[in-house]
Amino acid sequence: MKKTQLRIRRETRNNLVAYSFIAPNLIGFCIFTLGPILFAFALAFMSWDGNNPIEFVGLDNFLALKEDTRFKAAFINTIVYAVTTVPLTLGAALGLAIILNQKVKGRDIFRTIGFFPYVASLVAVAAVWNMIFSPGAGVVNVLLTHLGVARENLPKWAADPDWAMFTVVLFSVWKSMGYYMVIYLAGLQGIPSDLYEAGSIDGANALQKFWYITVPQLRPTTFFVVIMLTINCFKVYDLIYMITQGGPGTSTLVLVYHIYQTAFVTGSNYGYASAISMVLFLMVLLVTVIQFKGERKYANS
Amino acid sequence: MQIANKKIKLSRIILYLSLIFISIIMLVPFIWMLSASLKLDKDVFTVPIQWIPTHPRWQNYVDIWSKIPLAIFVKNTFKLTIIVTLLQVLTSSFAAYAFAKLEFKFKRILFLGYIGTIAVPWHVYMVPQFIMMRSFNLNDTHLAIIFLQAFSAFGVFLMRQFYMSIPDELCEAARIDGMSEYQIYAKIMLPLSKPALSTLVIFTFVNTWNDFLGPLIYLTTQEKKTIQIGLRMFIGQYSSEYGLIMAASVISLIPVLIVFLALQRYFVEGIAATGIKG
Amino acid sequence: MKNKKMIISMILVLVLTIGLFAGCGKEDEATNESTTDVSDTTSEEVETTDTKETTTDSNQTTLKWAVWDIASTTYYQPLIDVYEAKNPDVKIEMVDLGSQDYMTVLGTQLSGSDTDLDIVTIKDIPGYVNLVAKNVLEPVNTSDIDLSGYGGITDQIKVDDTLYALPFRSDFWVIFYNKTVFDNAGVSYPTNDMTFEEYDALAREISDDTLGSEVYGSHYHVWRSAVQLFGILDGQHSIVDGNYDFLKPYYDMVVAQQEDMIAQDYATLKTSNLHYSGAFAQGNIGMMNMGSWFIPTLIEKIQTGEYTEISEGGNGNWGLVKYPHAQGVEPGSTLATITSLSVTAASKNKEIATDFMQFVCGAEGAEVVAATGTFPAIKTDAVVDMIASKEGFPSDEASAEALRTSNTYLEMPIHQKSAEIEVILNDGHDYIMTGTMTVDEGINYMNEEVGKILN
Repeated sequence: MKKTQLRIRRETRNNLVAYSFIAPNLIGFCIFTLGPILFAFALAFMSWDGNNPIEFVGLDNFLALKEDTRFKAAFINTIVYAVTTVPLTLGAALGLAIILNQKVKGRDIFRTIGFFPYVASLVAVAAVWNMIFSPGAGVVNVLLTHLGVARENLPKWAADPDWAMFTVVLFSVWKSMGYYMVIYLAGLQGIPSDLYEAGSIDGANALQKFWYITVPQLRPTTFFVVIMLTINCFKVYDLIYMITQGGPGTSTLVLVYHIYQTAFVTGSNYGYASAISMVLFLMVLLVTVIQFKGERKYANS
Repeated sequence: MQIANKKIKLSRIILYLSLIFISIIMLVPFIWMLSASLKLDKDVFTVPIQWIPTHPRWQNYVDIWSKIPLAIFVKNTFKLTIIVTLLQVLTSSFAAYAFAKLEFKFKRILFLGYIGTIAVPWHVYMVPQFIMMRSFNLNDTHLAIIFLQAFSAFGVFLMRQFYMSIPDELCEAARIDGMSEYQIYAKIMLPLSKPALSTLVIFTFVNTWNDFLGPLIYLTTQEKKTIQIGLRMFIGQYSSEYGLIMAASVISLIPVLIVFLALQRYFVEGIAATGIKG
Repeated sequence: MKNKKMIISMILVLVLTIGLFAGCGKEDEATNESTTDVSDTTSEEVETTDTKETTTDSNQTTLKWAVWDIASTTYYQPLIDVYEAKNPDVKIEMVDLGSQDYMTVLGTQLSGSDTDLDIVTIKDIPGYVNLVAKNVLEPVNTSDIDLSGYGGITDQIKVDDTLYALPFRSDFWVIFYNKTVFDNAGVSYPTNDMTFEEYDALAREISDDTLGSEVYGSHYHVWRSAVQLFGILDGQHSIVDGNYDFLKPYYDMVVAQQEDMIAQDYATLKTSNLHYSGAFAQGNIGMMNMGSWFIPTLIEKIQTGEYTEISEGGNGNWGLVKYPHAQGVEPGSTLATITSLSVTAASKNKEIATDFMQFVCGAEGAEVVAATGTFPAIKTDAVVDMIASKEGFPSDEASAEALRTSNTYLEMPIHQKSAEIEVILNDGHDYIMTGTMTVDEGINYMNEEVGKILN
């Protein structure tokens, strides 16, 4: 009896201690972020424009999604964007991090340069990208012309429904790989060097060391990178706005862009916008849960 | 011996070459920014691009301070960024320790809830949040921006991942030694997490420094606005001043780069100093 | 014991941070006071008014006026000055919401029906329709206002027979042309009475596609209105019709011009950020169709010496003519864009706000606006003369004549679904101008999609 009482008291004390750690962040988070988010989710079942009274409409918003051609386009585009951007960015970031983790002269400077596109103002960076890929006299098309491509066959990049998504994905990878490179660099610092020494003693070459030491040790970091990349890909808006404005037509229209238009451009349809966001949220949740299951398996192994 | 040396030299050369190549790709926008910052708006987008302006307009760097109250904007942005960064780093690393190393009720659900909210795009709850903030009388205050940014789930997530990679045995040993959780946090976790902390500092700094939508919605008084809003003021309804936008962007890039360079060495800090294997 | 120490130190930290917040709030007030002085003295261009000093004087009312681009707009401050002189116990405080996302920010500020904005500027019709639907605008009491000066525009902005705003600016589209380009090509200037065929022929005469020294006969800014709205000038169609076959001849003309390098490539223009002002200022464009709001900007930038390619010794080398017209349509038929003022439904100073609104949008305000070279909504002959005689305005007769319009049509009429239709029309324009769809395919696309919206 006394033992269980002691155990319960210890558990409660542990809970209290743990909660005291979380409290500062959690309280602020709940009030300023969680509250509005829950309200926004409730809005998915309502019709509201910010001023007129809120009306309950049940599942009407979700049923309307079926007829919405722009929603369907946005849904597909978002998935395509995420599925291409995540692996590309991850690979680029990891590669950069590994290279810049070597003893290279001027390493600090190279790292800063790699971080540049992420830090520089989006307006500037997007303007440069558009210039480089300008259908008229952009560097890329000039190069292609020199390589023999006829003028009529030159892709119009951001103004071309077939190439706009490609242009945007490339821009995204280039802009954010510095960000994830930094995360990987920090992660790489956490790998004990004796592991590599042990590997050398066992006769492993560089590739084997990478595959059997680096990658497993980076699991928690990769987990983080994949989730953040996925979430950010599903949430993308600013980037698309700067390069293609969702066009041409609906070729780069993504879910958040559609949400923004629904809520702020074509009328303040906050309820419907919330419904779309719910779909977005569920998609991300799915990916996250899968990742979590994967992590737990790793942690238990 | 000589063959081995040659091999090493070759791989080194390739390494440096690829680094330089990648750097050029990364630097192109910055070079364009510099070049555009010295031009008149009508010359910024000429086709073909004029990399070196024929009449560099240094006047732009003077004009940006007088055409918009840039000095005030810079001060505001500094103030907001520093406060938010401090708060974020403190509260996030605190909470992350609990999520990573302690067992408590509802841990999984809470954490999943945290991450879930990262997935919700801000536009979705922007309006309910604004109405709530306004009812707290926080409309058009810096405090509103601080509250919005300082308690993010992102920081908790990042720190928790890094803490997960620190072996549990360290904490166990400390507990057996009789240390309280707070002491473990302060004396063991915090020093070990310098790379993670500097990463979080950089990200929060950059995010807040470049944040646009928050200040746009909440800050309507001219004297409270931030650099990003100032930049947009150069794109008017009937004209645009891209030369000035680029000049101001170059200026606004400098503090960020300084912070990044300063925190560089914490990335380099090897595991040797932390003595985990022991 | 050790635990207690830790808990106490944590509480101290929390208290410190809370103290920081409190300090923040107070600091805001302090910095506001001191920075207003700094900003007043350092910048002449930035006309910021005092901070939130509401009724310190029991008689004084402060009105908050939502606007955009305070620094580059010449008529806000004069209007305020004249009104405050006449009404000493009223202060007008401008709130700059930025021009890029103005309607979004305004909509957010007005949400929840509890705002401290008294009077707002309305930037575009779709935004106006949305605000009316949200019931945040106060209806205008038209019983004691003379609406005849507005030339019928107020009828065009009624929703359900109620007027929610009064126009104070009314711009219209004209053709800007570069005299030097015409001189160099030895071609006589465009006239105030051109059919579209004549316009097209003229553009082709002066064009030159020599690499490195291109001259473009015409220039279409990337807005769909630059091309599509040629079609509504005969008054027979509206842009929310649902059937867009009437756009075909105009798209055919423009697309052909683009292919023959008479006009710059739309795809390139869209992805670069070349503003039409910059394009015209580069000096290699013969004619450009654009709104009259460009006139003051053009004049100013020539005077400050920025636009050297279209001026000679400080004098502009440009002129204006009326919009081209279809056969049988009266010359001077053109598109109009209005900017209006509205009183918010949540305002606590409705009477005074209404008075200010009527001042700005009335005859007195019109004079103040016209004196800065901008076109007020009340466009009398006196106003047109005032603008035509402003320094920097082209001295030739034709340019002054170009300011007299015959029939004006709103770019986008009031319609419940105007914002949604706008999205489709923009897409269609994109498809056609980038060559993704042919003109016929593009028009079919717009017919279909807008049809879906209208049903």
